[in-house]
Amino acid sequence: MDFIPHDDKTIAEMLNIIGVAKIEDLFKDVPKDLIINGLKLPEGLSEPDVLKNLQELGKKNKVYSNSFLGAGCYFHYIPTLVDFVISRSEFYTSYTPYQAEASQGYLQAIYEYQSIISRLTQMDVANASMYDGSTALAEAAIMASIITRKNQVIVLEGVHPEYIEVVKTYCWGQKIELKIVPEEKLEEELTQEVAAVLFQSPNFFGDIEDVLVLANKIKENASNCLVIQCMTDPTCLGVLKPPGETEVDIFVAEGQSFGISPSFGGPGLGIFATRKKFLRKIPGRLVGKTKEIDGGREGFLLTLQAREQHIRREKASSNICTNQALCSLSALVYLVSLGKTGLCEIATQNIQKAHYVKNKIKLIPGYEILNTRPTYNEFIVKCPNIDSLIEECKKFNLLPPLPLSKYYHEMKDVALVCVTESNSRESIEKFIKALELANNNKEGKM
Amino acid sequence: MDEKDSLIFDKGINKAQTNFIPSLDVECDALKNIIPSNLIREEVQIPDIPEVEIVRHFVKLSKINYGVDTGIYPLGSCTMKYNPKINEHIARITEFSQIHPLQEENEGALRLIHHISNILGEITGMEGFTLQPAAGAHGELVGLLIMKKFFETKGVLKNKIIVPDSAHGTNPASAKMAGFSIIELQSNENGEVPLDHLEFAMQQGDVAGIMLTNPNTLGVFDRQIKDITEIVHKYGGLCYYDGANLNPMLGICRPKDMGFDIVHLNLHKTFSTPHGGGGPGSGPVGVTKELIPFLPIPCIISTEKGIVCADENSRSIGRIKAFWGNFGIILRAYVYLLSLGAEGLKRVGQVAVLNANYLRIQLQKRYNLPYNRTCQHEFVLSDKDMPNEVTAEDIAKRLLDYGFYAPTIYFPLIVSGALMIEPTETESKNSLDNFIEVMNKIYNEAVNEPEILKKAPHNTPVGRLDAVSAARNPVLKD
Repeated sequence: MDFIPHDDKTIAEMLNIIGVAKIEDLFKDVPKDLIINGLKLPEGLSEPDVLKNLQELGKKNKVYSNSFLGAGCYFHYIPTLVDFVISRSEFYTSYTPYQAEASQGYLQAIYEYQSIISRLTQMDVANASMYDGSTALAEAAIMASIITRKNQVIVLEGVHPEYIEVVKTYCWGQKIELKIVPEEKLEEELTQEVAAVLFQSPNFFGDIEDVLVLANKIKENASNCLVIQCMTDPTCLGVLKPPGETEVDIFVAEGQSFGISPSFGGPGLGIFATRKKFLRKIPGRLVGKTKEIDGGREGFLLTLQAREQHIRREKASSNICTNQALCSLSALVYLVSLGKTGLCEIATQNIQKAHYVKNKIKLIPGYEILNTRPTYNEFIVKCPNIDSLIEECKKFNLLPPLPLSKYYHEMKDVALVCVTESNSRESIEKFIKALELANNNKEGKM
Repeated sequence: MDEKDSLIFDKGINKAQTNFIPSLDVECDALKNIIPSNLIREEVQIPDIPEVEIVRHFVKLSKINYGVDTGIYPLGSCTMKYNPKINEHIARITEFSQIHPLQEENEGALRLIHHISNILGEITGMEGFTLQPAAGAHGELVGLLIMKKFFETKGVLKNKIIVPDSAHGTNPASAKMAGFSIIELQSNENGEVPLDHLEFAMQQGDVAGIMLTNPNTLGVFDRQIKDITEIVHKYGGLCYYDGANLNPMLGICRPKDMGFDIVHLNLHKTFSTPHGGGGPGSGPVGVTKELIPFLPIPCIISTEKGIVCADENSRSIGRIKAFWGNFGIILRAYVYLLSLGAEGLKRVGQVAVLNANYLRIQLQKRYNLPYNRTCQHEFVLSDKDMPNEVTAEDIAKRLLDYGFYAPTIYFPLIVSGALMIEPTETESKNSLDNFIEVMNKIYNEAVNEPEILKKAPHNTPVGRLDAVSAARNPVLKD
């Protein structure tokens, strides 16, 4: 099939008006030896055939009844009105709102998104979005290097390992030196040459940092160094102290938890918020509120564009152009759907249910919870036999937790477990059963 | 915005909303017994809003927003084509939307990425692809980092990139992010790259290569494209193809055959995935065989065991995004590619060019066309002969009054008062004729009643906004 409206007669009519005999004549600037003789691809499919094709392919992906896997991508309940709103095609088929007067609806929504992220994080200003949490963190590191004019960045070990790799790639491009440091060695590494310290809380292993204490420690040792916090599941902000109430200078997060389907890890949402004093260094788009030139009505428009690539070219604060606008709309609708009551409830349930599972695990012989600090909805467990645990989970149709050996070769038999509000009692009981069975299997082998 | 309560935050009520909270079905400790109080916040300042109010609010906002489903969207270099609804439907199938990036049973997803890489390879001629980049500019960064790594590996210092002045604004910014400095090359009077200047620049020895958009932002296909890439290669450089304007070349010719080594595509332009009001997009990068070892990780490869993921690649630039790229967008583009097939894709290229030339011929009767030649997917008008000093912005704003979206204005920078128009292949002749009629009407207004244009728009929810004070005293939140 195609989506071209012309019939042959219309095409002939148009060619006639243009003044050429055939459509090929319009390509006369293309050197003849470059013209190909058709693509070696199959013929197109009708809508029912393409649907069938994709349904068949989809069967090769397994959908589980419940999940204990997180590690940067989370299964939270998504209110139906999120998809209702983002399916309004006036939103999803529009371009970046360059013509403000014809794009007031989206501009206002982005303005409301910036506002709601500011309220949630208590930071002064949020941008209109970045690609995802990992690239937002990398851009934050670059921004800190530009602001401080220093080219050394420290990343604490608890940051998501894929995020660290992304930061590493971006820093290599910018000739920024990157050091990965365990938290207990942070003070020795903090010199006046450090542009920023990047940390994650709750961190990759689930631990909630006392951000107030950590940020103060950084500022005391290196006064000009920027403190950058990242987060992979910001639903915790319904309960946990927001970065704006601490010394955090830049806050970034993966916003997938805010009403966006896992979708094999993308598209997600890069949340980026900072302090007012850094406003003119922030990467990405910003929507502002203003008034008409000849009138009193308020309206919204893209603002501070002098930072951006299409105006400043190589002097821009970042090259980002297309961002994740529709995902920020999902996040906005998600957050207003929950409201303050729902946000607090969701975060509380995540903490309570994870805590409940932790307590159950403590009772099973052979398992050990390795976290020593409070955790949000993830925690790490030393298992007697992780391969067996994974198999048992699958038998119960549960998406198993992450074996940490995927990222840390030395951490054998340690599972990163995620429990959210969407884990029912039934699924939790099955998971506990799977843990017990996996332990028995171990004993059986011995 | 003229109602007092029009922001979403003004719609709150006192009744707590808990419609979306599952019942707590296990016996739990109180929060204060689990988390120390110094880690706990005060209430979030987001009101509780009844569902019906939320729905009405966003429906109202959608009604004051223009999309491709509203009408023609002639933004040059943005390729605002129709977004097929089947794409959206399939993206919501549970087996695609509810899969975790770290789960083991992901064969369908990996196969899809592998297959679309092969299709994009056939379309561009490139031998290897990564689907990791999240957008066009992200793809540019990846392509340039590949160049950087290529020369680093060879032990050659090349830290400059040639970018013609007809390039997209992201090109120089991306080159800077990859650590290159930029040599801007002025286009000649035909809007093409001057070969003598190019050769002179390459002779300096420290130039890594060139970034080129072909057809360029004037909608012009550079007839000397093979000479350009040959010169760059002669001096050891690499050629980068910005695929933002690939649409008219589909099934006609291929970047690899033009001599390019690296290409990025915009799935949200050429391959019909929706722009979403500015994203999410997807910017796959294709490379020649020689550059495959430099592609970012993870790589999806075909082995005897089937399609698998490799977390290593011998000379990889590293990871550039968590997980697998914008899979949901890649999926939509895949549906489009399967739907169109070989013939359909070629038809896209042909009709995109047909529609653009039809508009060009009709509009140049009244408007100034600085580069007067057959165009590809788009063309650029100038406001310089407009009567009564009517500007590109005035024309754009007046178009909004008539219920159309505006072309890209004041870009490319090499045309003064530019109006860059790209209709795409999905506009019917009827739709194009309506656009022409309104453009002619606007021209007549410019002659007879220019004040209407200078004060436009009149029929939109707001008039022209004060951008200067918005930037001077930014209000970015409520």
